[in-house]
Amino acid sequence: MTKELKYVGKRAVRLDGLEKVTAAAKYVDDLEFGPAMYYVAVLESPYAHAIIKSIDTSEAEKMPGVKAVLSGKDFPEKFGLYLKDNSIFPADRVRYVGEQVAAVVAETPAQAKAAVKKIKVEYEPLPVLQNPLEAIKPDAPLIHPDLGKYEVVPWLYPQPGTNIAHVRKIRKGDVDKAFEEADYILEDWYHVPHVVHAPMETHISVALFSYDGRLTMWNSTQSPHTQRNIIANSLKIPHKNVRVIAPYVGGGFGGKAGINMEVIAAVAAMKVPGHPVKLRWTRRQEFFNTSQRQELYAHIKMGVNKEGKIIALKHELFWDVGASAEYGSNVVNATGFSATGPYYIPNVYIDSFAVYTNRPPCGAYRGFGYSEFHFGIESHMDRMAKMIGMDPVEFRRKNAIRRGQSVAYGVEMNPTGILECIDKVAEKIEWGKEDKSPDPTKVRAKGFAAVWKAPAMPPNESSAAFIKFSEDGSINILVSGMELGQGFLTAMAKIAAEELQLPLEKIRVELPDTDRNPYEWQTVASHVTWSCGNAVRRAAIDARNQILNTVSRAYHIDKANLYLEDGKVKCYTDPEFELPFEKFVIDGIEMPDGTYRGGPIMGHGMFMPEFTSAKVNPETGLGGHPNVHYTTGAGAVEIEIDKETGRIRVIKMAEAFDAGKAINPDLVEGQIVGGFVQGLGTALWEEVKFDENGRILNPNFTDYKIPTALDVPREMHPIIVEVPQPDGPFGARGIAEHTMIPVMPAVANAVENALGIRIKEVPITPEKILNALKEKEQNKQ
Amino acid sequence: MNNFDYAKPSTLKEAIDIYKQYGDKARLLMGGTDLVVLLDDGVLTPDMVIDLKGIEELKKLEFDGEYLHIGAGVTFNELIDSSVVREKFPILWEASKTVASTGVRNKATLVGNICSAVPSADSAPALLVYDATVVIAAENGDREVPITEFFTGPRRTVLSPGEIVKEVKISAGSGKFGGTYIKLGRYDGEDLAQVGVAALVTESKDYKIAFCAVAPKPVRAIEAEQFLKGKDLNDETLEEAAKLAVKAISPISDIRASKEYRLYVSGVLVKRALKVALSRLNGNGPAYGERLV
Amino acid sequence: MKREIKFTLNGEPVKIDVMPNEKLLDVLRDRLGVKSPKHGCGRGECGACTVLLNGKTIRSCITLAIEVDGQEITTLEGLEKDGMTELQKSFLEHNSFQCGFCAPGMTLTATELLRKNPHPDEEEIREAIAGNLCRCTGYKNIVDAIVDVSKKG
Repeated sequence: MTKELKYVGKRAVRLDGLEKVTAAAKYVDDLEFGPAMYYVAVLESPYAHAIIKSIDTSEAEKMPGVKAVLSGKDFPEKFGLYLKDNSIFPADRVRYVGEQVAAVVAETPAQAKAAVKKIKVEYEPLPVLQNPLEAIKPDAPLIHPDLGKYEVVPWLYPQPGTNIAHVRKIRKGDVDKAFEEADYILEDWYHVPHVVHAPMETHISVALFSYDGRLTMWNSTQSPHTQRNIIANSLKIPHKNVRVIAPYVGGGFGGKAGINMEVIAAVAAMKVPGHPVKLRWTRRQEFFNTSQRQELYAHIKMGVNKEGKIIALKHELFWDVGASAEYGSNVVNATGFSATGPYYIPNVYIDSFAVYTNRPPCGAYRGFGYSEFHFGIESHMDRMAKMIGMDPVEFRRKNAIRRGQSVAYGVEMNPTGILECIDKVAEKIEWGKEDKSPDPTKVRAKGFAAVWKAPAMPPNESSAAFIKFSEDGSINILVSGMELGQGFLTAMAKIAAEELQLPLEKIRVELPDTDRNPYEWQTVASHVTWSCGNAVRRAAIDARNQILNTVSRAYHIDKANLYLEDGKVKCYTDPEFELPFEKFVIDGIEMPDGTYRGGPIMGHGMFMPEFTSAKVNPETGLGGHPNVHYTTGAGAVEIEIDKETGRIRVIKMAEAFDAGKAINPDLVEGQIVGGFVQGLGTALWEEVKFDENGRILNPNFTDYKIPTALDVPREMHPIIVEVPQPDGPFGARGIAEHTMIPVMPAVANAVENALGIRIKEVPITPEKILNALKEKEQNKQ
Repeated sequence: MNNFDYAKPSTLKEAIDIYKQYGDKARLLMGGTDLVVLLDDGVLTPDMVIDLKGIEELKKLEFDGEYLHIGAGVTFNELIDSSVVREKFPILWEASKTVASTGVRNKATLVGNICSAVPSADSAPALLVYDATVVIAAENGDREVPITEFFTGPRRTVLSPGEIVKEVKISAGSGKFGGTYIKLGRYDGEDLAQVGVAALVTESKDYKIAFCAVAPKPVRAIEAEQFLKGKDLNDETLEEAAKLAVKAISPISDIRASKEYRLYVSGVLVKRALKVALSRLNGNGPAYGERLV
Repeated sequence: MKREIKFTLNGEPVKIDVMPNEKLLDVLRDRLGVKSPKHGCGRGECGACTVLLNGKTIRSCITLAIEVDGQEITTLEGLEKDGMTELQKSFLEHNSFQCGFCAPGMTLTATELLRKNPHPDEEEIREAIAGNLCRCTGYKNIVDAIVDVSKKG
C-alpha cells in the first residue's frame, strides 16, 4: 500500500515560520504579567563542596522591597526525574559552585539581588572531587552519603556507600575468550569534557500561586507535563491545580528537559499568593545553574579477526554526572546499552558508571551520551581499520549492524539504512579522492564516522493528541510536544493533513498548556515525530472516521465509497458529490425533515509502545527490551589544517541519516545542518573550564566559543535516507539528536589522516595539534 | 549596575570641568562597549558617567594631507567605511575589520579601544607601527603622547582623571609601503586575539613590528626592527627577526592560550606578517582584509 | 535621579523618565513593550538584543537608555510596519529560522547590510552576521535567504 502522499514528504513553509520571521512569536520573557509581578534572585554557593552550618536570612528579610526569603530548611523534599537526589534548596550541604542555596522574592530585580547579598551562610568546606576516576575510588569522600535512601526507578542501580549513582552492565557472549581468539587488539582511553547547551534563550520561569490554590507556571520547557507531575508530587498540590503553559522555546537541546530552576519559581510563588514571580537566568547562570553535558573517560578494548570482523568489545565508561544524577543517570544507562556503536559485535562487555562529582549536575544534552561515547568508538574504529590494513569506510560497512542481528542487549536490530547512509556520505565527500590545498602551509584530509542512537525512554512513554474543528473547516491540533525549533508543529500538521486531506493553511498546532493539551511524556530523545506523530495520526484517523460515519449516515452512502480530498468529503461512486468540511464539522448535517446528524467532530489519539520493557538482568543487561528502535547514520568531514599555527577548519561536510520517512524533508535537512554545527562546536572549540576549586572559568561567550556564520563549512550536504520504521507514522523515525554525533570522531579521524597524529581528547585545538606534531617529531628521533 | 549620575557636555571644556570635579569617581563614556559591561558586572562603580557623544569636535575623522585625525568619537565602522583610511592607512583599516562584530563596531571607538588599554587591543599594533600620536586634552591645555608611551600596563595608560583623549593622529609618511595586521583567534568568528601582530615594510627597507595580547601591554619589537633595517627579507633574516621579535614579548598562559603556544605562534606570525607586508609593498600581495590565518 | 529622555521609536515620538543605569534593552522591553530585541548574553556578544540606532545596528544590552536621547531607534516591529520586507519573505520561504530567538537581531543586521551593499557575496554576508549567534540552524538557510535577496535586489 504505497499511496501517493500529498503532504507528508513534501517541502513546505513551516507553520511557525511567519511568527518567527515577524517576531510575533512570544517566549516567556515576552509575556506581560502586570505591575504586581515580583522578581526572584538566588544565592549561589561559592563552594563546590561544603557543609551548610547555618543560614541567616534575617537581614535579607528586612531589605527594601523584599517579600520573602527561602532556603533549604523550608523545603526538605527531594525530587528528581529518575533518582530523587536533588533538593529544591540544599539543607545539609552544597555540592557544586553555583548551587542555589537560597532565594529572595522582591519588588524589583535590583532589590532582590541586593537582598541576596545580605544572606549570611556559614560553610564548612569539604574536599572537592572533580574527576570521576578519582571519585569512583573506594576511599573517595562521599558526595551523597544518603544515596541508599533516595527513591529511584526500578531500572537504575545506585551503589550506596560509594559515589556511583548507577551502573549499567552488559555481558553478552564471552569477551575474554573472544580476545584470546582475536587477531588484532587495540586498547586505549578517550576523553570528552563538559560542554553546555547554550541555547540563545536562557532558562526562565514565571509562576503564579493564586488564592484558589492554583499554581500556574509559564516555563521555557521541553517537558510541561513532566514538570507539572514533579511539581505536584514534590509540593503536594493536586495535579489539577498545577498548570504549566509553555510558549515558544528559544532553543532547548535537552537543557530544558526535566525540571530545574522552575521549582524555585514555584516555591517562591507560593510565598506571595496573587503575585506572579519571575526567575530568569543570566547567561552566566545558564552555564552552571541548569545542567551540563557529562564528562566521559572511556576505556575501549576492541578485538578484530583477520577477516576484519569485530569479535570482541570491552567498553568501560566513567561518566562525571556532577552533583546530581537525577536525570544524568539515564544517560549513563542508555549509553550502557548502546556503547558498541552501530555494529554487530557478538561478544560485548560494557560497564557504564554514573559517578558523582562536585560539578554542576549533568542532565540531558542532545545525543544523550551518544556523542561522547561515539568519539571513542569511532576513533577506535579508524585505528583498528588501519591496524588491519582495511579502508576505514569499508571496515564500517563490513561490521555495520543489519536488520535482525542482535544488539548488545540481545534484541534484534530494526530495519535500517545504515549501509545506504555510509555509501551516500562516502560518495558525497568523495572518499578516497585526495584533495590538496593550493596553500603549501596547509594540508587537507577527510574523516568518517558511522553512528546510531535509540530514544532513551521509560517503557511506558506516551503521547496523546486531540483534534478539534472550527466552523470554517480548519483544525486545531492539541498536543504537548514542544516546538523547540526542530519543526515539531509542522510535522504534526503534515501528518494530520495527510490523513484528513486538509491543506496546511487550515491547520494550527497548539503549544502546550497542561490544562488543555493532552499528555506528552517529554520532547526529548528525538522521539516526538514518531510517538506524537502516531498519536496525531490516530487522532486524525479518528476524526476522519467520525466525518465519514456522519456523512454516510446522513446521505446513505457506504463509508467505503467515501474519501477525503482538499478539505472535502467526496465519493468514488458519485463524482458530483462534494461536501466541504465547513458545512458540517460543527453544525452537523441538516436532513430534509429539519433534523440534524452529527455535531462537532473531535478526534483523539494516543500512542504508547507496548513492547518495551526495562526489566533487564542488572548483571548482564539482557532479558528486556529497553529501546524502541535505533536510527542510524553516517557523517564525514573534509578539513584543512594550517601546519604552522595548528588552526583547523572544516571545509566540507556530508551527513546522512535514515529518517524512515522524512515528514518535512527541508526541516530534516535543517536538523542535519544545525546538529552538525553544534557538533562542530564541541569538536573544535567548546569546553567548560574549571579551576581547582570547581569554579567555572568561562561562563560567557567571550571564552566559551560557539560557532558563528564564519566558522561553518561553506559546503554542507545533508542527505536523507528512508528505510521505513514499521511502527512509525508513514515510516518515520527521529534524527534530530543524531546529527551531532558523527562530528567529533570524524574530525579526529580527519586529523589523523592529515597529519598522522591521533588526538584522543576534544576539543581538538590548534595547541593540541601542534603539541602532537611536536611529539611525533620527537618520537621519530 | 550601581546608581550613577550622568552628564552629556557639549564641549570638551565642560567635560574636563566635570571630570576634574569628580576625579576618579567619574568614568568617560563614548561607545560604551567596554564600559557598560564593566558597570554591569559591578567591576566599576562610578558616581558619575560623562557621555562624550555630545561633543561635535570629537566626531571628526579627517585627513589634512599630512595627518589622519581620528577623533575620540570615531567608531571602528566609520574607519572601515572611510576610503582615505583604506587607501592611506590600510593596516589600521585591516585591524579595524577584526574588532568584534559589526553591531559592536557601530558604537565602539578606536580611542575607547586604546583607553581601555586591554593587552589584546586590536587597534594598538597598527597604531604602534604607524607611530601614532595620542592627543590629550586637559584643564591646562593639550599634550601629545606617542602611542609607544601611552600604555603603561594591563588596563593602564598615562591618563590621569581629568584628562580626555581628544584624538589620535597618524602621519601618512611618504613613499611606498606594505603592511598587515594578523589576528589569531580561536576561530574565525568574533574573538579576542590570542596573538595579534602588525608589520609595516617601506620601500627604503624600514621595518616596524608590533604585537598585542602577548605582553602586559601592546609592544613594538624594536630589536627585530633594528636588525632588519636596510636588509632584504629572506629565510635567514626572517628567522632571525622572528627570534628577536619573540624576545620582545612576554605572554602568559590564560584561558585563551598557553604561554608556549603564544610564543611559538608569535614567531610564525611575525614571519608571515613581514612576508605579506613585503608582497603588498611590491604590489603582488593579498588584498587588505583577506584572511591570513 | 531620573532623567527625561525623548527619542523616536519606530517612527513614533517617545518621552520617558529613565535612571542613567537603565539599559536600553530593558527600557524597550519592560517599559515600552517592544519585545523583538531579546536577552541573550548581556555583554554584547550574541546579537539577540540588536536594534537600529539612527539606522545602524547596535547591541541594546550594552547601551544605556539615556544614550539614545534625541536619537532614532528602529526595531523589527518598525521595519515591518507596512508589511513584511523582501528579506523577511525570503527568510520565510527558506525556512531560515528554527527556534526563532536570533531572528530579530539577525534580520536587522542583514537589513543594515543590504541597505549599505545591495548585492553582497556570501562571504560578505557571513562576515556581517558573524556577530549574531544562532545555536539551531548552522546558518545555512539564513545565508541562502540573504543571498537570494542579494541576487534579486
